[in-house]
Amino acid sequence: MKRKSAAILLTCAMVLSLAACGNKGDTKDDSGKSASKEKSGGVTLDITTTFAGNDTNAQNFKDAVEGWQEETGNSVNDSSATSDETFKARVAADFEVGSEPDVLFYFNGMDSNSFVEAGKVISIDEIRKEYPEYADNMKDELMGASPVDGVNYSVPVNGYWEGMYVNKTVLDAASVEVPDASTTWDEFMEDCQKIKDAGYTPVAASLAQIPHYWFEFTIYNQLSPATHNVLPESVDDEHGKAWVDGIGDIKTMYEKGYFPDNTLSGTDDETFQAFLDGKAAFLIDGSWKLGGIEEATDDIDNFTVTYVPAKGDRKATDIIGGLSSGYYITKKAWDNPDKREAAVSFVEYMTTNEMVSKFAQTSATALKDGATVDESQLSSLGKSGLEMVNGITGIAGAVQDQIPTECRVPVFDGMPNLVTGKVEIKDAVSEVLTLIKDYTPEESAQ
Amino acid sequence: MPNIYKNKKPLVFFLVPAFLFMIVFLYYPFIKNIVNSFQNIRGLGTAAKGWNDPWYLNFTRMVEDENMRIALKNTLIMILVTIVGQVGIALFLAILVDNVKHGSKFFRIVFFFPIVISATALGLLFNLIFLYDKGMINQLLGALGSKGLIDWKNETHALITMMIPVTWQYVGFYFIILVTGLNNISDELYEAAAIDGATRMQRVRYITLPLLHNVICTCIVLAVTGALKVFDLPWVMFPKGIPFGRTWLTGTYMYYQVFNVSDVDYSSTIAILIVVLGVILSKVVNTVFKEKDY
Repeated sequence: MKRKSAAILLTCAMVLSLAACGNKGDTKDDSGKSASKEKSGGVTLDITTTFAGNDTNAQNFKDAVEGWQEETGNSVNDSSATSDETFKARVAADFEVGSEPDVLFYFNGMDSNSFVEAGKVISIDEIRKEYPEYADNMKDELMGASPVDGVNYSVPVNGYWEGMYVNKTVLDAASVEVPDASTTWDEFMEDCQKIKDAGYTPVAASLAQIPHYWFEFTIYNQLSPATHNVLPESVDDEHGKAWVDGIGDIKTMYEKGYFPDNTLSGTDDETFQAFLDGKAAFLIDGSWKLGGIEEATDDIDNFTVTYVPAKGDRKATDIIGGLSSGYYITKKAWDNPDKREAAVSFVEYMTTNEMVSKFAQTSATALKDGATVDESQLSSLGKSGLEMVNGITGIAGAVQDQIPTECRVPVFDGMPNLVTGKVEIKDAVSEVLTLIKDYTPEESAQ
Repeated sequence: MPNIYKNKKPLVFFLVPAFLFMIVFLYYPFIKNIVNSFQNIRGLGTAAKGWNDPWYLNFTRMVEDENMRIALKNTLIMILVTIVGQVGIALFLAILVDNVKHGSKFFRIVFFFPIVISATALGLLFNLIFLYDKGMINQLLGALGSKGLIDWKNETHALITMMIPVTWQYVGFYFIILVTGLNNISDELYEAAAIDGATRMQRVRYITLPLLHNVICTCIVLAVTGALKVFDLPWVMFPKGIPFGRTWLTGTYMYYQVFNVSDVDYSSTIAILIVVLGVILSKVVNTVFKEKDY
């Protein structure tokens, strides 16, 4: 019930936040929001984020840091890095040895459990005791509460959604319409067959490397926004069956030849290139791929993004998405009187309505007043993304985020074995559930 | 005045920093790694959540792990391929270059060149060569009239596709060592043999190979231990042991367990196996290919 309410709230928030698009007059004026914005100067903050490398917002972050430094006279030691396992290991190790940063922009799911459990970050409620206006432009219920205790510790900026990118040239060649909110799964399968008959690959995906997106949506198709994010207790319960049937749909698609010929040996880069080159029609990916497609093609109008066709209780307009990262203030900074104020000032600066809108673009936010998106700055693909988000009726977080990395192996890395029948899907799902139980015995017992 | 050369104390002054460096960055991590293999560690950089139950859990798991068996088998194949492919080809090329009158310097540079290119760059290069769609080989085959594309990374071809670039990369390394060894063989021996009527082949068989024996042994020891550590190029070309985990090597599987699966304790166990294998195989190779005194 709790999850159902959260899903509804999240949906409402996304719709509301996008309804506010273009309505600049409604956005909150953040000036004078906190005394901490006054130019105090002289404090150096150690900050680490994932806004680095190829991240779409890497430059936005650099500009924002410069802006904050100029405004406050403080300075920043920025150790941001690309979000990968090495980065996660570094953050975890820093917390272990007591050399954590003062402020970090990090995941709010299971990845943050270790330092939340250790009490090394400060909750929003505690910060608000001293700074009542802290993150008051955000909806508390959307901030991304910690899985440890359900308490908010981080202030989110930009969220994500997952959708189906379409290469329109391939569809034209196969005389297939772009799927929309009303396209059913069966119709989608017929379209895939037509595309295959026309000599193209219907779906660009490397089942050897990135089967995650299809894993999410085919399971989602057996459930609903309210129930998708629940881990099965056993392989025979409702959710267990949904997992088995969902992966079964991937197997059927593989057997029908809807994935690339080298889907079991090729990399994600190869299948993405086939999609860009007009050899494959559909690609399920996240909102972060939008910028990648814009950069990789000279003909952005040839691409669009739409809903992943649905079946069962799920509507096509029920999507996967959420707010998975946010700004944390560490206890180390909080206990230092000088750094406390600077850290609060920094997070407030980075999470104003204006700044969040700049970072989020077409993705979800937790802003009460919604993000302000300048549509004139968006490509046709960006507008498609915005249009898609405007039409959503339900949203669920990715269920894989609830599965520890160690436990995903049988269904993710083992996907080639499942679609070729070398391993029974039911056995693999059962193995995942056993691994999860072994991993968190106390939680699974609840 | 005491003989300063007999006073060994200053040596300690110079040796201690290096010794400390080795303790901090090699021996301590290795011992810690052994301890880690008995513990439950669920992420790089995170503290252990206690001891495994039973404490040897990872070791029994390693014995039962099919991927580990594949990794060991592939690593042993890789060792054979490096001995025959790398050292063998390098020896052949070295003898050829030693016998050419003009252009030997040119060939030395050409054959050595792959060594200076990073393995990651080579991996990307060979990825393009073996690419399924628009790959160099498939394009050449297409130009020659072949219909359909060949997946060089499928179950049938993957192992060969992985081993060709690894072999190619290090031929130059052994080539240079062997050429240096060949330069140390006196020309007078060849001249005397030629006067006695020995053919070129006989000179190679009865002069070059025996006198190069020790250098070849060194190359083989380096090749065997090097094959155990091969990681970067195979990982770039075949991440996660694709396809179907058929291309695992002990090095890539260990890395996968740490950075993709976050199973640090199990990867520590694999690391121990790699070290043990390295020590045993080096000993075996040293015994089999014993250096001779001439």
